Amino acid sequence: MSQVLHPIEQKILKLLLEKQNLTPEELSEKTELSIDQVRRGIEWLRFKDLVQVNESEKHFVSLGKRGLEASDNGLPERQLVNYLKSSFGSSCEMNEAKNQLKTEFSAAIANAKKNGWIEIHENRILLKGYHDLTPEERLIKTIVSRSPEVVSVDEIEDKNALDSLKKRPEFLTINSTKYVTVNLSEKGIETAKNVSSNSISISDSIATTLARDGASLSDTTPVTDSITVKVARAIDVEAPAPIVFVARSHPLQDVINEVREIFIGLGFTEVVGNLVQSSFWNFDALFTPQDHPAREMQDTFYIRNLHAKTIATKNQISNVSQIHKKGWKYDWKLDETKRLVLRTHTTCVTIKELADRKPDEARIFSIGRVFRNEKVSYKHLVEFNQVEGVVVGKNVTLRDLMGLQREFYLKMGMKKIKFWPTFFPYTEPSLQSMVYNEKLEKWVELFGMGIFRPEVTNPLGIKNPVLAWGGGIERIAMLKYGLDDVRELYNNSLGWLRNVPKCQ
Amino acid sequence: MPVVALYFDRIEGILGKKISKEKIISTLPFIGLDIEEETKDHVNVEYSPNRPDYATDYGIVSSLQGLLGIKTGIPKLKIKKGKNSITVNPSVRKIRPFVTAIEARNGKLNDETIRQLIVMQEDLHNGIGRRRKKSSIGIHDLDKISFPLRYTTTGKDDKFIPLDSSKEMSIRDILERTTEAGIKYGYLLANFKKVPIILDSHGHKISLPPIINSERTKISNNTRNLLVEVTAMEKNAAEDTLAVITNVLQDAGFELFSIKISGANNSTPLLKPRNLILDSDLVNKILGIKISISTMVSALRKSRLDAQSKGQKIICTIPRYRTDIFGPMDLVEEVALGYGIENLEPTIPRSISVGQKAKITTTLDAINSVMIGLGFSEVMNFGLMSQRVLCDYTKRDSSKIVSVSDSKSQEHTILRNAILPGLIDTLSKNIHESYPQKLFETGVVFLQRNGDISEEIHLACVSAHNDITFTEIKSVLQSFLKSISNFGCRTPTSTNPMFLVGSTADVFVFNDKIGEIGLISPEVRDNFKLRVPIAGFEIKLTVNI
Repeated sequence: MSQVLHPIEQKILKLLLEKQNLTPEELSEKTELSIDQVRRGIEWLRFKDLVQVNESEKHFVSLGKRGLEASDNGLPERQLVNYLKSSFGSSCEMNEAKNQLKTEFSAAIANAKKNGWIEIHENRILLKGYHDLTPEERLIKTIVSRSPEVVSVDEIEDKNALDSLKKRPEFLTINSTKYVTVNLSEKGIETAKNVSSNSISISDSIATTLARDGASLSDTTPVTDSITVKVARAIDVEAPAPIVFVARSHPLQDVINEVREIFIGLGFTEVVGNLVQSSFWNFDALFTPQDHPAREMQDTFYIRNLHAKTIATKNQISNVSQIHKKGWKYDWKLDETKRLVLRTHTTCVTIKELADRKPDEARIFSIGRVFRNEKVSYKHLVEFNQVEGVVVGKNVTLRDLMGLQREFYLKMGMKKIKFWPTFFPYTEPSLQSMVYNEKLEKWVELFGMGIFRPEVTNPLGIKNPVLAWGGGIERIAMLKYGLDDVRELYNNSLGWLRNVPKCQ
Repeated sequence: MPVVALYFDRIEGILGKKISKEKIISTLPFIGLDIEEETKDHVNVEYSPNRPDYATDYGIVSSLQGLLGIKTGIPKLKIKKGKNSITVNPSVRKIRPFVTAIEARNGKLNDETIRQLIVMQEDLHNGIGRRRKKSSIGIHDLDKISFPLRYTTTGKDDKFIPLDSSKEMSIRDILERTTEAGIKYGYLLANFKKVPIILDSHGHKISLPPIINSERTKISNNTRNLLVEVTAMEKNAAEDTLAVITNVLQDAGFELFSIKISGANNSTPLLKPRNLILDSDLVNKILGIKISISTMVSALRKSRLDAQSKGQKIICTIPRYRTDIFGPMDLVEEVALGYGIENLEPTIPRSISVGQKAKITTTLDAINSVMIGLGFSEVMNFGLMSQRVLCDYTKRDSSKIVSVSDSKSQEHTILRNAILPGLIDTLSKNIHESYPQKLFETGVVFLQRNGDISEEIHLACVSAHNDITFTEIKSVLQSFLKSISNFGCRTPTSTNPMFLVGSTADVFVFNDKIGEIGLISPEVRDNFKLRVPIAGFEIKLTVNI
């Protein structure tokens, strides 16, 4: 189907085919469209590559304050000549002329001398020679004769006179105006040729109404001719409409919600916990020795000047302390467990839930912010989101844990996965999952997993094996939105937030 | 995590069998190594600190040999009885009480072997050694030493020539200013008047543990015989460290000789393997497979352990350097690795459990959808933020702010007690975007109360455009509350430096103050270089909302 053109567009095209390089004002005058309609039409046509718009600047000249005086009374040198003519002997004393011409005196003398109209002898001014109209005077006359219209600089032939008058202050005013001219592109010429003169004339009135109120045609519009109906109803459906920025959730929140939904779909119940935790639940309960490098300040944010008042039950504390002394053979200190940390993983929430409830069977998960004292870079943030799920059951196995992973990734749309051994301080055996990313065409390390060590579960009275798995959400969000810099997720750049597609 | 460079030509030599480069690369992840970078002649792998034996290519190859079936079972450690000894003076007891050592003779060192030894030494210092605090290693040229050695203490004014120096220096200078190691680790001895020292029979100082060796006993390519000494705070840590090095030196072609250690509770290290009993049922139960005991035995041997079946049990023999093995569960993993992770087919556990969101999540979901319905877009800021944004620019009281110690970033030093400042900061980063800008955020804020930290969930929103009024933002607040809980609110006038005087109010629901609302003061906007007027509110989300 050929392009549908709005009647405004049709009119402009048609006119431009007859005469190129018209200004919007000229187009408005000749098409009898309002200037706004013409401007809008030009924008539409330009967007479709049918017209080209050239911007240029024009200078106009008019008389300034002294120029207007000169037009009435003559230039100062002319006034001097006239005065001398009326004086006795066509001459006068300098002072007499000065009194007559006042502030114009020096200009009058200088220019009259330049024109060869006067001579000065011992303080007397003598008239001499012919006193024809000068080019400057002719220019003033021309400008006056064209008034009130302004004269374009281009139209003035005697550029010397113009320059000379321009040098004299306040004689001339030069105004510049930016203006555009419109002409047809090659495509536009072709299109314009196909515009039927018939359709324009018939739909003229409708087009004008349409353009004026910008609304669609109502059914009551009186139309008789079948061609008219077609043209009138055919609005330009290809023209771009304005984009509205939709209020929406944060893209990272969308990924968090998606992950949460999958966990719930897999039968997991969400638990939440504080972001500030005692070292006991963040580290000790997870069999991380007190001198472990992960507990040093280089890696963990400790809260300044505050300590946990209550951390766990007496039993929990004494059992955990015993396993540390036995397993790691060091001097375990209670004070160390009271140091408050910004949780470094969500595992502290799940382990506390298990320790407090001691379920024989359970599927729970925790999702939320965790913190690491790292240098912020394209791949590290000090604060990010993590999810972690645990399954407690009498007969749960490592293969089950692998199966849950596979199921999770399938639901996220990731089909190719494999498992490698790895190490985590509180799980044994431990695995990491590698997922093939189609966009990047490579294997990407995602969630880690393992079975909680007996050194973790036994002291807390958890009898059955606990499968645990989880990892960072930002990694998944980066893959989803094609980001190489994790910081972009937290820049809150409205340009990105408003434009990133919701469904990917 | 530490990284090791594996050169293919060296690996091939140590492996003892021609294995293709591709096979080696594809096997490495299955012994627990992450491949960091692959080049033509080498591959960089990252290992977990629980396996210090992976600090050199010798240790890695030993595991590869097992998994590829080239050599299985425990690598036998042969230590001959040596003639030399170290005696320990009780004065070290309170400073660094333990020493242990081994002699390695008739070996060859080339540049790459020396490099591997130094890297291993550093990795052990950082891992088992806990940045040299718990244990540290000195490697010396044995031929420059006259035995017996004495491990004792000396004053800080005593002098010797430290490694890589040409002149004698006082120990005080070594610790405080003249050596890099002293500046970095000197703090470990700062609180003691005396420092530990190892002296040879002529009284030459050979080592100042855990800081630096002497220049006198420095090793080079020509060194054939080594002395390795380890000093430590715990006997166990000393022997753990020595066991890892001893195995590497044997693999590197050295003959090992024991050194007699005595005095002040010290004794000669045994470095003997230990036995652990594994129940075959546990293996099948945890892994979810049914494999025979003999399959388990061969899998354990592929993991470079020794194993013998005894009824339904397996007696496993674990070499001294495998400090990562605590109990049967660790052996289950060794079976899994030897059996091959790729041979475990994933299964889905049956479950009748029904999943559910936490109550707070359901509430937050509702809040988000109402705010979006009101035309506000969600943003996400950090809870750990800067004093500049949270207090200084917004003129808020900073006296009860919770802060963290030693943050690596100036932008993340304190925990937010309000969300609104972050939202204003977000507006300031978007001045080039079109208006109106309407943003909201929900999240945890941290409050200090009676020496405790309490966490609350807040909602805050801002609306920024040229025609903003107090009425508009109050309308948002009221509409929000009505939509969420059908609550009304009162907004009695208040003063708050973040807001414009006369255009700010407290927000009350029933008799509880839940937040603040108002037009942001022009001064605050100036601080953020924001020209457009802003209104906003922040409320606490209580049980009811």
